[in-house]
Amino acid sequence: MESSDWELVQKCQAGEIGAFQELVSRYHQKIYVVIVGLLRNREDALDVAQETFFRAYRKIKSFQGGSSFYTWLYRIAVNMAIDSQRRQKRNPLDFRETMDGLFEEQNEVARDPFSDVHDRELREKLAAAINDLTPEHKAVIILRTVEGLSYKDIGEILGCSEGTVMSRLHYARKKLQEKLSAFL
Amino acid sequence: MRDCKLIRESLSGWLDGQLSASDAEIIRVHLESCAPCDGERRQLEKLQSSLKSLLVSNVPRIAFEPFWAGVRERITKKRSWQEEIMEWARSTFAAPGLAWTVPAVIVVLLGVFALDSFWKLGSQRNNFAAVESIDAHGRNVALLREDETKTTVIWLYQNQEGEDESSGENTETSPSF
Repeated sequence: MESSDWELVQKCQAGEIGAFQELVSRYHQKIYVVIVGLLRNREDALDVAQETFFRAYRKIKSFQGGSSFYTWLYRIAVNMAIDSQRRQKRNPLDFRETMDGLFEEQNEVARDPFSDVHDRELREKLAAAINDLTPEHKAVIILRTVEGLSYKDIGEILGCSEGTVMSRLHYARKKLQEKLSAFL
Repeated sequence: MRDCKLIRESLSGWLDGQLSASDAEIIRVHLESCAPCDGERRQLEKLQSSLKSLLVSNVPRIAFEPFWAGVRERITKKRSWQEEIMEWARSTFAAPGLAWTVPAVIVVLLGVFALDSFWKLGSQRNNFAAVESIDAHGRNVALLREDETKTTVIWLYQNQEGEDESSGENTETSPSF
């Protein structure tokens, strides 16, 4: 029978690195997808994702189970991604170029959902519009869209109330909608 | 019209299934009889599906083994004392710790300037201005000193990266003392 996250955390707190490896295998892809959404390139996202798990390992003894393990882990990941983004201050075009790279890679193995010109243009505009959002607004959009997390969980991750999450989502979607009005 | 404005403000939460059953029902009934608001709903739904395609479907899967090898290497690698200090500083000055770190930064800065005044280091003084980021959420502390009048201003503020928000968000976006 598969151990719960909390059981693995407790084993990890007792020094079992194998338990931590199991936690990493459960969440590495999810954490990576969230960080790719927040950052501007895949290499940075990979580095920040690995650093996220390293930090989680270092802090795991302080985790008391007051919240779920994944919200705790996402909190570390989002804070690190926002911190990394603020420090790097790279060219805003990086995000679009990187996302284009990801699309091309996917095209080799899967059907591109943006298969016609109109949708391709929508994709480019959408990537640019997301990039123009503040890190906090980008974070709520990504946590909601990628993970489908509840407002309560997003609030726990970002350290704000459910009302603030709702407000940020409304604002962020409104901004995206305005910038993409010709395509929607 | 007022109803339409309120309904549109709640559409996002409605689509996410985060409203109470009674509020959700009010919106559903309104959408059945209001074409403009229903059009708004369709736009939001298309936006949501486009976001999902962009953010989820197009991110490649990463192999676990090399990823774990990278994490394990970080765990086993001995870090330099500089890296340890940087990590301590980042975790200490992260948002939840801000309640006490902001006053601490102010006290330290005041202390430095008090010592500077006490010892009167150097005969020639200059005006001084500096801005330091104190956390990962855009909060900064700015220090301005005008030497002639011995005026020191410490200014805590948060970066305004986006445009004005009309939604009444609870975050602080304007400079505050």
